[in-house]
Amino acid sequence: MDVLEAIRTRRSTRAFRAEPLSDDVIRAVEDAVLHSPSGSNAQDFHAILVRDQQQIRRIRRFAPGLAGTPAALVVMCSNRVEARRRGGRDGEAALRLINTGIATAYILLATHGLGVGNCPVRSFHRGAVKRLLGLPPEVDPELLIALGYPAAPPRSKKSKPVTEVVSYERYGQR
Amino acid sequence: MSGTVSGDREQMESVDCDTSRQEDSVQERLLDFTAFCLTAAHGLAREPASYGPMRLVDAMFRALELFKEVGVEHPGLEHALEVVRRSRWQATEDPDGFAKALDQAIHRLVDLTLRS
Repeated sequence: MDVLEAIRTRRSTRAFRAEPLSDDVIRAVEDAVLHSPSGSNAQDFHAILVRDQQQIRRIRRFAPGLAGTPAALVVMCSNRVEARRRGGRDGEAALRLINTGIATAYILLATHGLGVGNCPVRSFHRGAVKRLLGLPPEVDPELLIALGYPAAPPRSKKSKPVTEVVSYERYGQR
Repeated sequence: MSGTVSGDREQMESVDCDTSRQEDSVQERLLDFTAFCLTAAHGLAREPASYGPMRLVDAMFRALELFKEVGVEHPGLEHALEVVRRSRWQATEDPDGFAKALDQAIHRLVDLTLRS
């Protein structure tokens, strides 16, 4: 799928078929993480791909925003110590989250391009997920990405008028 | 995002589509339910206000499913709640529309109450 088409057609999926992801999808997730840009090339994120249904079940228990039963979860984490080392104070305070967000967008588009539904989720208990995944102290879970083949077409999304989100040359100028 | 991160927050039509439920023990489901309520309550302090009604309604549906599993049901409830189930996706996108659906369900419950 063309990148622009992927951008235009991706919607959050919240109902999944009980079907494991193909190897292509797993490789796409790896590629998305490996080739995602980051400030100072810090790569201060870490993605944990969870396919074990028992582990997904444990995480779901502490994730009210996670709908349906996805075939896999990608837990997007950021590393505060690595962010500070590579990106300074700004890296620790902000860039690591931006970097994690960019890598997340890459995963969303790469998997959508392979026909996989996805949904990024922030409503979860970070401390609980951190313990369930055995994360070291300096690594925090920031986002969950639910992945799976869609069981139903996702709802359409209402976008704001372009004038509200894009300006030219100066703020508010079309 | 939830919520979900994307602009199309929490739009799922049904409350859940977990096909593994039948295999779960009621005790496990009870843990799921309790953790859902506690985690949602913890998260709501920092989340958009519109998530409150949505989480509460989700908790209600989860509780009703648990009751059903242990054999407690009310024959009129499905009709009363159908409008909420159908409008669930509006909770964050159209809170006023969702409130109308809740209002409609409440009046159906009043009908049930007056008939009993």
